[in-house]
Formats: sequence, C-alpha cells, structure tokens
Amino acid sequence: MDLNALIAVMIILPIASALFLNLLHKKDRTIKIIAIITAVVLPIIPLLTPYGSHFFGGYLPLAQNSTLAQGLPAIITGTQLSQFHLGIMYVFSSAQQLMIFILGIITFFAIFTFINETKKPSGVYAFLLFMGTASLSAILLSDDIFNLFVFFEIAALAQVGIVVASGIKDNYETALKYILIGNIAGPLLLLGIVMLLGVTGNVNVTDMIFSIKNGFVDPQSPVLLMALSLITFGWLYASGLPPFHTIKSEVYSKALPHGAALIQAFSVFTLVAIGIIIIRLFSYNPFTHIAIIGISVIAMILGITMALMQTDYKRILGYLAVGELGYIGIGLGLGTALGITAGLFQAINESVITSFLFIGFGTVLYKTRTSDTKKLGGMMYVNPKVALLVLLAGLAMAGVPPLNAFQSKLMLIQASIQSGLPEIGIIMILLSIVTFMTFMKAFYTVYMRPKPKELEVLDNKIPKSTIISLVAFLIICITLGLFPQIATSSLQTLAAGLV
Amino acid sequence: MNIYDFILKKMREVQKKAEEDQPITNITASAMLAAELTLIASVLVAVIMVRLIHPVLMIIMIAAVLIIAVMARPIMPRLRKEQNDDLNNMMFYIVVALGIVVALFYWGNLNV
Repeated sequence: MDLNALIAVMIILPIASALFLNLLHKKDRTIKIIAIITAVVLPIIPLLTPYGSHFFGGYLPLAQNSTLAQGLPAIITGTQLSQFHLGIMYVFSSAQQLMIFILGIITFFAIFTFINETKKPSGVYAFLLFMGTASLSAILLSDDIFNLFVFFEIAALAQVGIVVASGIKDNYETALKYILIGNIAGPLLLLGIVMLLGVTGNVNVTDMIFSIKNGFVDPQSPVLLMALSLITFGWLYASGLPPFHTIKSEVYSKALPHGAALIQAFSVFTLVAIGIIIIRLFSYNPFTHIAIIGISVIAMILGITMALMQTDYKRILGYLAVGELGYIGIGLGLGTALGITAGLFQAINESVITSFLFIGFGTVLYKTRTSDTKKLGGMMYVNPKVALLVLLAGLAMAGVPPLNAFQSKLMLIQASIQSGLPEIGIIMILLSIVTFMTFMKAFYTVYMRPKPKELEVLDNKIPKSTIISLVAFLIICITLGLFPQIATSSLQTLAAGLV
Repeated sequence: MNIYDFILKKMREVQKKAEEDQPITNITASAMLAAELTLIASVLVAVIMVRLIHPVLMIIMIAAVLIIAVMARPIMPRLRKEQNDDLNNMMFYIVVALGIVVALFYWGNLNV
C-alpha cells in the first residue's frame, strides 16, 4: 500500500486557493489570475496522481506495520484491532480519478465562464466554488465516514453561499429554506454515523465492513438498521432525491448558470459517493437494493413529470437533473457489475450534460435577464450558434446517439433486463422520450417561437469563453459517446468490487 | 367532455384555489396532459414489478392503480399544487419520507 501525498493536494490546493481568494477585495486581475491557474491545475492533478492511499494523522494498520506492532500486547496484535485503520484514510483509484477529473473540468469551465461574464469577479464567489469542489473531492476520496460528513456539511454551506451570491430574486429565501431543511437532514445523517460508530467502534468504512463480515457485529442489529435508514435519509438530502427534489431544483434555479452547473455536479457526485458507501456497508441486506431502486424510480417519474409543467427554464433543467439522478440510482440499486458501471457512467455523463445545459441556457439569462419561458422567444435569431449547441446538449440528455448519455442509458437498460427487471428498462425508455419532449418544449419557447414585442434583448455580447466552454462540453459528450470504454474501463474495477 | 377539456377545467379549479392568476395556454395544458399520461404509464409499468412478490398481488395493484387513475384524474394539477416551494409543504413531505424510510428499513427488516 503506497502512501501518496498527491492525493491530499487534490483537496488542499482548492482550499488554499479559496482561502486566499476570499481575502482579495477589489483586486480583479489578481482574482482572475489565481482562480484560472487553480482551475487549470485542478483537473490535471488527478491525472498525475498514482493510484494508492493517503493517511491523515495516523499509520497503516498494525497488521501491515510490523515495526509499530513490535512489543505490543497480543490483545491488540492478535485480534481484529490490528486490522483497523488508525487515521483518516483517503483512497484513490481509477474511478475516483475519472470522477475528480470530470469535477475539475466542470469547475474549470464554471470559473472560466464566471470570470469572463462578470465585470468585477468576486473573490468570495470564487472561494465558494473552490470550497465546494474541494469538499466533493474529499467526499469522493474519503474512506472515513465522519470525515465525509464534515465535507458534506462544507459542500452544503458552499451551495447556500453560491445561491446567496447570485443576486437572483428570492435567492435569500431559497438559501434559508435549504439551510433549514439541512438542519433536519444533516443531524439525522450524523446520528446514523454515530450509531454505526456505536455498533462497530469505528468510522472507517473498510473497517466497519470487516467487522460486519467477520461476525464482530450482528448484521440484523436494530441499531445498525436504524443507522442504515438515517444514512439513507441523509443521502436523499445530499443528492436531491425525493422528497428533497423540490428544494434542490429551487436551489439550481436560484443560482447563476455557472454556479448551478457546479451545484448539480456536487449533487451527482455526492449521490455516487454516499450511494457507494451504503452499498458497501449494507449490500448484505437485499432490502437496500430494493429501496435504492424504489427511490430512484420515484425520482425519475417525479423529476421528469414536474419538469414538464414548469415555465421557468432553469426550473425545468433543475427538475430534469433530479430525474436524471434517478437513472444513476437505478444503476447502483441493480447491484450488478454492469448496472453499477452503467450508473457511474451515467453520473459522469449527467454531470457534464447538465453543466452544458445550465451554461448554454445561461446565455439567455445573460442577454435578457429573465428565465421565464412565457416572456421569451426568438432567441435563435440572437445567437444561432449557441442555440445549436444548446439543442445538442438537450439531445445528449435525452440519450440520442452518438452522444454520451445514449451509451450509459443503453447500458442501464441492458443491466435492468439482465437483472430480470425489464420494467425498469421500459420506464427509462419512456422517461427518456418525455425528457426529450420537455427539453424541446423549453427549446421551442425560448429559441424558436416569435420574439415577444415586450422582450428586451441586451446589447452585451456573449463572451467567447462561454462558447468555448459549450464546445468543450460538446466534445466531451461526443468523445464519451463514441468511445465509452474511456470511462467504463475506469469504472469497472470499482463496480466489480461492490458486487 | 373530452380529456383535454377536462384537464383545462381542473387546472382552472386548482389555480382558482391557489389564487394564481396565470393564463392557461395550449402549451401548459398539453404539458399537463403529457405529464398525466407519463405518470399513469410509469406507475402502471412499475407496479408490474410486484409480480416478483406475488402475481395475484400484482393484478390487484394494477387494478387499484387503474381505478385511482380514473377516479382521481387529473392527478398532475393536484401534484403540482402539492410539490410547490412552500417550506411547510416541503417539511411535511420530508417528515413523511423520514417516517417511511425508517419504518421500511427498521421494522421491515426485523419482521421478515
């Protein structure tokens, strides 16, 4: 087991940069330079970091550390205590590499768009974006569930900050509601973690699994089952699955487009990280898989049908993003290697496509200062290139070939049929068609129908950086659509380990 | 009265109760109808999975869903009214969901 210091850099760098940016006021050029350099470096670090693990404030388990174990009594070295990890452990493998790389790419384009669309970029806003990214990197890497909770809370606060900083009407109310709801779900998640600690005597996920599998803990212990239910409830809040879909879609709609792009990526990767922990810890219990599938089907149905009835395009995207989360959950819930690989691949695809859509539709907000589809129209004439890019993003989300979500949705359907649940495949196909219809409804009302007389289009030109970001997202969508093995080969090892 | 007119009538009723003064356009009515059909179709297909527990239970549940879909239609205007941004509504559904999750995981596992 190699100790790998570069793993820590993935978290320390964005935090250090965020703290420094927070101190800068009215130094626009310095803010821009530091933010861009950090954003460029973020996706590069995971590519340079070798696979391995890193400890904070601890040592390798005594069983792997003969020097430290020498002279210790047999009650420690001869029991399961010698297997336990003594510090906060971060694990970095091919799946984490891909997810943190994609998160870095989304952060880069969010920062890139923010800096070029804003005349006076705020260091505090950049602080929030980087703190969120650092937290999500830690959540993806951490094998310590309490450490994960700490970063989960930081990510939640960063999201609230991004909403507060947006300046969009009623944003304070939304931020306050998200905090209040978080005050219920967060402590309940922590209570679940505390119960796990109480039963297993540990906060390291690998050690907890060791205790459960080797009979040191009764798997049917009521406290363990209660912990599972509370952690599942916290997972619903963190990822925006029902009943938290309403507040999550509201949060997306009250953030600026680059902020919304990043917040939805946070939701996707939190869903994956906590979902994987739930499966690792509780897959012995068949009800865990049934519950994940049930919640995911409800998320798909509610998210997509609610999106259909919205008139604000940011809200439409918010609900569609919730619906797409259901696809990821289905993959995890199926519990097969193919299903989990497909779910993780869908997570990668969804985070890219939804960012693509938020930033693409964000150009309409930039030109008109409104996101109400009833007041919009004729935007195709204003910027046909952006309209085409947004259309392609919508096609990608609906799963049209040769774009990336086609591959992941096809894999999910195959996995559901292989698992003996073709009904889920039928629901996914049906809802993909409705997703396409919902998107086309929004696209038609914003871009294709005649421009309303009262709609005022501002003269400000859409920055080239925004167009570059959209083209880059399109390239990722096409590349992963044509060569899905680039992503799936990185995800298969993790998926196989969870079965 | 055909289903489109029925949806329009119901939307007006729900809007009147909610004191909303937005006009009902062709797009909103069509979207509501599409959402209604999507909801019923998805739930019906999902209920087929109950066959894994018992085929007779599946038939009973499909019949129940069909009866509810016919009797309570249109469901979407009501669902939209419930799924709003009101903090009280959100809190209510969060507490209900917490109860369901805990009951299913805790008592569901202990009593099987």
